[in-house]
Amino acid sequence: MDILKIRDAADVEQAVQAALADERPLEIIGHGSKRAIGQTQAADAVLDLSALDAVVSYEPNELLLTVGAGAPLADVLSLIDSKNQHFAFEPMNPARLLGTGDDAGTIGGMLASGLAGPRRVKDGGARDHLLGAHAVSGFGETFKTGGKVVKNVTGYDLCKLLCGSWGTLAVMTEVTLKVMPRPESQRTLVLRGLDDLAAVRAMTAALGSPYDVSGAAHLPAAVLRHPDSGMAGVGDGRALTLLRLEGIDASVKHRAGSLTAALASHGAVDGLDDDASAGLWQAVRDVTPFAAIGAFGAWPVWRIVCPPAAGGRLGEALAADTGGAVLYDWGGGLIWVALPGADDARAALVRGRAEAAGGHAMLIRAPQSLRDATDVFHPQQSGVAALTRRVKHSFDPKDIFNRGRMTRGTTP
Amino acid sequence: MSIKMPLPDAGVLGRRDEIVADLRRIVPGEGVISSAAEMVPYESDALNSYRQPPMVVVLPDTTEQVAQVLKYCHANGIRVVPRGSGTSLSGGSLPLADAVLLGMGKFKRIREIDFDNRIVVTEPGVTNLAISQAVAHAGFYYAPDPSSQIACSIGGNIAENSGGVHCLKYGMTTNNVLGCEIVLITGEILRIGGKALECAGYDLMGVITGSEGLLGVVTEITVRILQKPETARAVMAGFPSVESAGECVARIIAAGIIPAGMEIMDKPATAAAEAFVNAGYPLDVEALLIVELDGPKVEVDELILRVDAIARACGQTTCQISNSEQERLLFWAGRKAAFPAVGRISPDYICMDGTIPRGRLAEALTRIRELSEKYQLRCANVFHAGDGNLHPLILFDANLPGEMDRAEAFGADILRTCVELGGVLTGEHGVGVEKRDLMPEMFTEIDLNQQQRLKCAFDSQGLLNPGKVFPTLHRCAELGRVHVHAGKLAFPELPRF
Repeated sequence: MDILKIRDAADVEQAVQAALADERPLEIIGHGSKRAIGQTQAADAVLDLSALDAVVSYEPNELLLTVGAGAPLADVLSLIDSKNQHFAFEPMNPARLLGTGDDAGTIGGMLASGLAGPRRVKDGGARDHLLGAHAVSGFGETFKTGGKVVKNVTGYDLCKLLCGSWGTLAVMTEVTLKVMPRPESQRTLVLRGLDDLAAVRAMTAALGSPYDVSGAAHLPAAVLRHPDSGMAGVGDGRALTLLRLEGIDASVKHRAGSLTAALASHGAVDGLDDDASAGLWQAVRDVTPFAAIGAFGAWPVWRIVCPPAAGGRLGEALAADTGGAVLYDWGGGLIWVALPGADDARAALVRGRAEAAGGHAMLIRAPQSLRDATDVFHPQQSGVAALTRRVKHSFDPKDIFNRGRMTRGTTP
Repeated sequence: MSIKMPLPDAGVLGRRDEIVADLRRIVPGEGVISSAAEMVPYESDALNSYRQPPMVVVLPDTTEQVAQVLKYCHANGIRVVPRGSGTSLSGGSLPLADAVLLGMGKFKRIREIDFDNRIVVTEPGVTNLAISQAVAHAGFYYAPDPSSQIACSIGGNIAENSGGVHCLKYGMTTNNVLGCEIVLITGEILRIGGKALECAGYDLMGVITGSEGLLGVVTEITVRILQKPETARAVMAGFPSVESAGECVARIIAAGIIPAGMEIMDKPATAAAEAFVNAGYPLDVEALLIVELDGPKVEVDELILRVDAIARACGQTTCQISNSEQERLLFWAGRKAAFPAVGRISPDYICMDGTIPRGRLAEALTRIRELSEKYQLRCANVFHAGDGNLHPLILFDANLPGEMDRAEAFGADILRTCVELGGVLTGEHGVGVEKRDLMPEMFTEIDLNQQQRLKCAFDSQGLLNPGKVFPTLHRCAELGRVHVHAGKLAFPELPRF
């Protein structure tokens, strides 16, 4: 298969026009770090955007960053870190989960996948931080949407659609993101030994408090037992329920005290300071307990998003029914489920239960044969599915971008 | 009214009586209003220099009725203009002579409050403030707070992606909604998202929010609610120039502080507000900056000191720090009343809404002053300084020949300036009819075509709210055509591996 190395944004337009003329579908990649996610694509060529790696402008005082879509996420993070800033949505690096090395990929991939970390409960997702984009549509035309300001309602907010569209709508070439000041300090409160239902109750109480919790995760004992869980040394083998507080030091201390008191009825609370705390949250963010090289590495992994308060019951039932392992983020609103081998990763069961709880499930890790036999993305109700197809068509009528990645069997 | 709207469809107008009768069968009783006198209140929204009686007003009170009305209009090629509380400042719900005005005011029920999931499920006609009031007993509130919040409906907030003073820290509407029930023009009822933080598939909620009533009619909304911060305090600092106030804003952000709100008023706006509410504003300063910090008391107290130190370094000449809730509200009273206050010193005014990069505030103000000279019209300025959103208020007298046209030309020049300075036409009021014809200042035809293609995915006949947002309307069939550039080599000139 041809790999087309794009040199600049004009190349993208040209390549897309050529692909249109021949009706040859393209697989869009940055570093290719997330290629193992999604259905198998029908691509004739790979469009490699990694050369679009320029930092076009970074204005810390404006909280604005404009970069090429191929800019490496790791480089961009260290750039903004040097000004004490970050992406508040805490982009996940799925490399360890997928077993694809440790490359965090590119900014374009970060946005197209839209996988946000623990702070999503407080500060939103990738979709809440993309302010503007230049992209090439499946009409072979370069369009822009949004702008380079933090507040803007001029025209439809196409940025929202681009985030989480897995490269199926348009090829982003340059994007403007909102960056935020990095909190001065952080502290994690820990409750030990709670079962999943009790843990979600404690997290619900914490997130419903005025103490501005910026992370709420629960790691059942089963996922902590393995030395390669990324959690080594933080516990005594009992389940951990983690609540993160961030901000200026005085405030964090004050809130830690108040929250500890408020949670008294849920169990004893102790604290972890900066370094240990940061490492833990990175492990939660990247789901390292289910890392490909770890104890659960051979199992398919589901990513379930559901109403947070329903998470405990859902996760517990799935673990019991499948013999799998679960871990919870977003106060119960994000459940990662690793379950032992089955031809279909128990899709009907997982999806049925997720839907009953008001959620949806994506098969984020599975061997290709299993993905070929199962819908990776949660099937939608027919009216929404039809609208989704019309939206796809309005950006990419010939279905040349990442054909089939989000929809199994049929091309949308 | 100087803007051109789509020509009325004579065929539809000719069938008016029949259409009214058909609509009465769908929405019985007082739900269909067809007499000229009773339709007067619906002739305009808060952009009241534009007026147009609708063909008929329909006020459904169930989702099923909304679906039946839209399905009927779709089958009969009748245009529909949705309306919430009619507080749009951009003419988003301006009627059309041949269109059904679909008022959502009867959807007034909050359907569910779920504190555990921190959400409220509400009908679209509920006011923004009523949501906060409904959850206040448990210490919660709904964060976006447009200044019309006692009147504006949450459905209208979705349509306009409304902001407010506190959106610097807490986000706009789009950052605070999770799902909706929406009726498409075909009458199809869809559920998008729900109580979960993300929906499956494309983020359709994200694009419905801010679509100005062009994509569908929302009949139920799920919003996030937050716990109220423990305390809030405000700093009010006077500066000898707008430049120094702007510099202060930039340094506060650069110091890693995101205040709950950060507002600047220039001298004319300060004077008008002070005369109206006697908030104790200093009248000898060129710019007044109000910074609000919220959170735990210990945090607020420390940040107040940091902000005060920054303001000193930027040359503040007056400074007050609120020591009580009463005092904090007094600081805000003038700012919140800035529009009516300006209304008292001028027979008419229009409010602009461009956004610029924060760092170019002083430049923008200088340009606005020059334009004020050129058009010989006064202008008072209030800014959401934290996010660069300007609200210049242009003062004029519509009874003087030519003043209204001059005011509009002045406003258009301000918005062009915003785009020139790297900003956008509208930060929170929407495009509507008001800024429609300025869209090409910011977007190319290709950009606008792509947006209209999305519109086609929701409404292929262009029946929902036509004449808003887009300066020229294209047929969907024409927009959907792919122009393959013949004779091109496959992937020419690109390095291959």
